[in-house]
Amino acid sequence: MASRSIIRTAQNVLASRLGCSAVARRASRSVASFDQKRFASNFYTTDNTYKVPDFSHYTKDGKGDDNSRVYSYFMIGSLGLLSAAGAKATVQDFLSNMAASADVLALAKVEVDLASIPEGKNVIIKWRGKPVFIRHRTPHEIDEARAVDIKTLRDPQSDEDRVQKAEWLVMLGVCTHLGCVPIGESGDFGGWFCPCHGSHYDISGRIRKGPAPLNLEVPEYEFSSEESLTIG
Amino acid sequence: MAVSSIIYNTFMRRNSVFVGTILFGAFAFEMGFDSTIDKVWDRLNAGKQWKDIKHSYVTSEE
Repeated sequence: MASRSIIRTAQNVLASRLGCSAVARRASRSVASFDQKRFASNFYTTDNTYKVPDFSHYTKDGKGDDNSRVYSYFMIGSLGLLSAAGAKATVQDFLSNMAASADVLALAKVEVDLASIPEGKNVIIKWRGKPVFIRHRTPHEIDEARAVDIKTLRDPQSDEDRVQKAEWLVMLGVCTHLGCVPIGESGDFGGWFCPCHGSHYDISGRIRKGPAPLNLEVPEYEFSSEESLTIG
Repeated sequence: MAVSSIIYNTFMRRNSVFVGTILFGAFAFEMGFDSTIDKVWDRLNAGKQWKDIKHSYVTSEE
């Protein structure tokens, strides 16, 4: 009969899939033509085997999945944070220890008493091994310095940019050509003249004639009080 | 939304963000820690340091 052959086909497919003759004896007895030895199995089912039963009663709900990871990474991260802060502080301390100490910094500055310099006089001070020219300029000289057209200068710089107080001109006494010391109150422009190669500087220390390329350098200085000047 | 999931997804998913947070946190921590410990130290040593007694030694400043 057709229905019997269908049942037999299903049994054979099931048997081959399970790899053994796990077929109920009752079913085998219905086949009259051949009698195979089969054993009873609790797992026999014609139902599909890919249906997984519902285990939700036993499983966790997935909300705390990241807890362990967050905890671990937080511990690691905070250790890294403390180490980074400690390393930064250590490096900073070592570097500041290697920086110049207070007595060395004190030697780097020099103080000049301005009350001893009358008007129209040059004074040369030694600072960090170099000569510094300080001139107490007269108002006539200041006007002369300001009257120059900047565009005609080789190194354009206005007198206002070179001085903090107009009557006190402070510059390094080193010629910008090859480093000789210019002579004050000489030269064609009423300023300084360098005898080595003939550079003329005006009353603001700017180069006017000769081989020097730049104006005389103005160092860092400040007026720590009305009568004293601190260079550097 | 679980808090741990939010933290993980914003800070710990990418290593660049993680390390950046740590460095920034170290900077902030150092600032706060230094000022706190300085205050604690000053309070424990009140009246003994130069900055506390300076006012009674400095004569008129010019």
